[in-house]
Amino acid sequence: MRLKIIRRKETKLVNKILLYVIGIAISFVVGGIFLTSLDINPFAYYRDMLTIGLIGNYYPGKSVEGLLKLFVPLLITSLALSLAFKMRFWNIGGEGEFITGALFAAIVAFKLGDTLPGFVVIVLMCLAAFVSAGMIGLVTAHLKVKFNTNETLVTLMINYIMLYVIKYFGETKADWNFFLRTDSERPVFAKFPENAIMDGIKFGNFKLLYTVPAAIVIAVIVYFYLKRTKQGYEISVVGDSVNTAKYAGMNVYRITLRTIFLSAAFIGLAGAFTAAASGTISTDITNNVGWTGVIVAWLSRLSVPVIGVVSLLISVLQYGCQAASASYSQIDHNFADLMQGLFMFSILAAGFFSNFKIVRTGDKKDA
Amino acid sequence: MKKLLSVLIASVVMCAAVLTGCGTATSESGSQAGGSADSDFIVGAIYINSQNDTAGYTYAHHHGIVTAMENIGLSTDTNLKIIDNVPEDDEQVRTAIEQLAGQGCDIIFGISFGYINAFAEAAEEYPDIVFCHATGYLSNDTNFNNYFGRIYQARYLAGIAAGYKSLEIGNNDIGYVSAWGTEYAETCSGINAFAMGARAVNPDAVIHVDEISTWGDQELERQAAEVLITTYGCGVIAQHCDSAQPQVVAEEQGVYGCGYNSDMSVEAPNAHLTAPVWNWDVFYQLAIETAMNESSASEFFTNIGGNYYGGLTEGMVDIAPLTDNNAPEAAEAIALARDLMVSGEWDVFSGTALSFSGEAGSVTCDLVPQALVDNEGNEIVAAGGASVDDGVIQGSMNYYVEGVVAES
Repeated sequence: MRLKIIRRKETKLVNKILLYVIGIAISFVVGGIFLTSLDINPFAYYRDMLTIGLIGNYYPGKSVEGLLKLFVPLLITSLALSLAFKMRFWNIGGEGEFITGALFAAIVAFKLGDTLPGFVVIVLMCLAAFVSAGMIGLVTAHLKVKFNTNETLVTLMINYIMLYVIKYFGETKADWNFFLRTDSERPVFAKFPENAIMDGIKFGNFKLLYTVPAAIVIAVIVYFYLKRTKQGYEISVVGDSVNTAKYAGMNVYRITLRTIFLSAAFIGLAGAFTAAASGTISTDITNNVGWTGVIVAWLSRLSVPVIGVVSLLISVLQYGCQAASASYSQIDHNFADLMQGLFMFSILAAGFFSNFKIVRTGDKKDA
Repeated sequence: MKKLLSVLIASVVMCAAVLTGCGTATSESGSQAGGSADSDFIVGAIYINSQNDTAGYTYAHHHGIVTAMENIGLSTDTNLKIIDNVPEDDEQVRTAIEQLAGQGCDIIFGISFGYINAFAEAAEEYPDIVFCHATGYLSNDTNFNNYFGRIYQARYLAGIAAGYKSLEIGNNDIGYVSAWGTEYAETCSGINAFAMGARAVNPDAVIHVDEISTWGDQELERQAAEVLITTYGCGVIAQHCDSAQPQVVAEEQGVYGCGYNSDMSVEAPNAHLTAPVWNWDVFYQLAIETAMNESSASEFFTNIGGNYYGGLTEGMVDIAPLTDNNAPEAAEAIALARDLMVSGEWDVFSGTALSFSGEAGSVTCDLVPQALVDNEGNEIVAAGGASVDDGVIQGSMNYYVEGVVAES
C-alpha cells in the first residue's frame, strides 16, 4: 500500500470550514493538554485569551487600544508584503523597511517637531518614512531585474543592516546623537517633541488612534489597486509569467520597481505610524511584524479582506496570550509563542487539506 | 473521509471531557494553596527575560519577589501577575503595564533600565498604582521610585579575597571580565571597588579589565577569561557578566576566581573564592509592605524614604560564603571591612583607605587617610575627604582608579 497526495478538484465551502474548525479544535486540545500538565484550567486560560483579558478588567478601554496597536502595523505590513508576493517577488525585508521608516520618521520628529505645527510634522514624518523605505525597495528591485540577484537574500540582509543601524543610534552616547535622552548617563532613546506624537479621539480611557482609520483606508486602497486598476492587473501578469508580460508589451522593469517601491514604502509608513503613536523608537519597534506579516499574507492567500481578518485574529492571539499568561506564574511568554505556533500550524494544515487529499494507491509489487 | 472525521470528533470530545475533569480538580487545589495576609493586594512585575529562567538577572529578581511575597504571606499563585520577555520598547512596556493595571495590580515592578520612559509616564497616568523601577534614575515624589543596591560594597569585599589570593600565589595580575567598562557607572564602580579591595591587601596588584560590550554572551565571556589568563597571566578572574563561564575557565586553567550574582562554587568548586550577590527580596519586601500599609499610593515615595539604594547594612547586597580555596587571612579581613561598612563608619569611594596587616588569626585593619586618585593621576577625593555622592556611584563615574588597566 502506498499513500499519494493529489489535488482536490473542488472543495465545498462547508467542508473547507469544517476542516478549519477541526484544525483549530485540535490546536485547542493540544494546548489544553499542555496547560493541564502545568496545573492550569485550560477553560479559564482560553476564556482570558479569547477575550484578551477583558473580563474583570479595570481598564478595558486600554486593552482594546493595546490590541489595535498590535493590529495596525501588522495589517499594513501584511498588505504591503502581499503586493510584492503577488508579483512573486519575495520581499522578506519587512523588518528592515519598517525600521527604516521609523528611523526617518524619528529624524523628522526630533529635528522639526519643535518648530512646526503637529499635523504638518506627522505628515512629514509619514512622507519621510514612505520615501526612505521605498528607496530600499527600489534598490532591491533594481538589483533583481538588472542583475538577477536573489531578492530573498538581499532583503534579508537589509533586515540585519537596519537593525544594527538603529542599535548604533540607540547605544552610542555622543553629542551629535539627537536620538537619545540628554539627562541619562546610560544611552536610552528620547521622547519625540509633543507635536510629533500621534494623538487620537478619546472615549473615556479608550483612545482611538488616528492610525486605525488610516490603516483601514490603506486596506481599501490596496484592495481597489489590485482588483480594479491597470497597475494591479500588471502585477498579477508579471507574477504569473514574466515572458507573458513582455509579450503583452509591459515594461517589467518599471512594473517591478513601482510595485516594490510601494511594498517597501507602505511598510515604512507602518513604521512611522508605530513610532508616532509610541512617541519614540527602539530596537524592538518592529515587534516582528516583518516576519509575522509574511505568515499573515500567506495564510490569507494574498486576499485583502482575508488579510484584514487574519491579522486581527493574530493580534487577538498575541495580545490575549500575553494577557492570559500574566495570571499564571507557570506560564511565560514562550508558552504564548508556542500557542500561536500551534494555531498557525493547524490553520496551514487545514489549508493544505482543503486543497489536497491523501489517497491510498494499491501497488501490488510493493505489497 | 467520514471515518477520519468521526475519529477526530470522538477524540476531541474525549479530550475535552478529560480536561474538564482535570480543570476542576486543579482549580480546587489552587484555591487551597493560596495563603493570605491581605489577599486583595496584587503585585505586578515586568521582566526582560523569562520568569522560568534558572539563573541570571531575571531569575534573581523573580526569586526576590517570590521570597518577599512568601515572607509577607501573599500567595504567588493568585496575587502575583507577571509579564515576561518584554523588550525595552516603550510601546510594549506600556502595553504590559496596562495589562497589569487592568488586572488590578497595586504595585508594579519593572526590572530593566530601558523601561524608564514608560514607567515615568504610567506613574502619572495611574496615580493609584505604585511604580518601582530598577537601575533607573527617574522618580516622582508620590507613587514612583527607583531602586538599586550598593553592589560595589560587596565587590570591595570580593576584592579583598582576590588580593589575598594574589599574594598567596605570588601573582599580582588579576583579571576582570566586564560587560561594559567606563560607559556605565554600574560596571565602572564595580571594577573600581574590586580593585580598591584587592589593593588594600596587595598594593602591587594590577586589575586587567577585558570588556565584552554586551550584558550577556557566554562565548565572549569565555574567550575574555581565556585571554586574561593566557595573554596577561592572571591568577584570579573576577567578573561582571551574566553567566558562570569565566569561573568555568578559571577552573579549567587551574587559577582562581570571583563570580557574580550567585554562589558560583557550584560551577567552579576548585577555583571559586566568593561572589558579590544580590538579595533583591530585601527591597521587594520593604516595597510591598510599605504599599500594603498605606492608605494611598501617593504616600509611597515618602513612606519608603525616597529612592532606594540599599547596601550591606540593609542586607540588599552581600558576598557568597567564602570557600576553602581562600587564603587564610581573607575571612578575618573581610569581616573587619564588612563591619566598617555595615556600621556606616566607612565607605569605599572616600578619602580614607583601609590597610590590612598581620597573619591569619591576628589580622588588623587600619583606616589611613589617602586621596582617591584615578588611573591618570587626577585626584577625585582629597585625603581624608568624605565619600563621593551616591549620584556619582550610580550615574556619572566614568574613570578607573589606580591599578586598573583596560585591556580592550
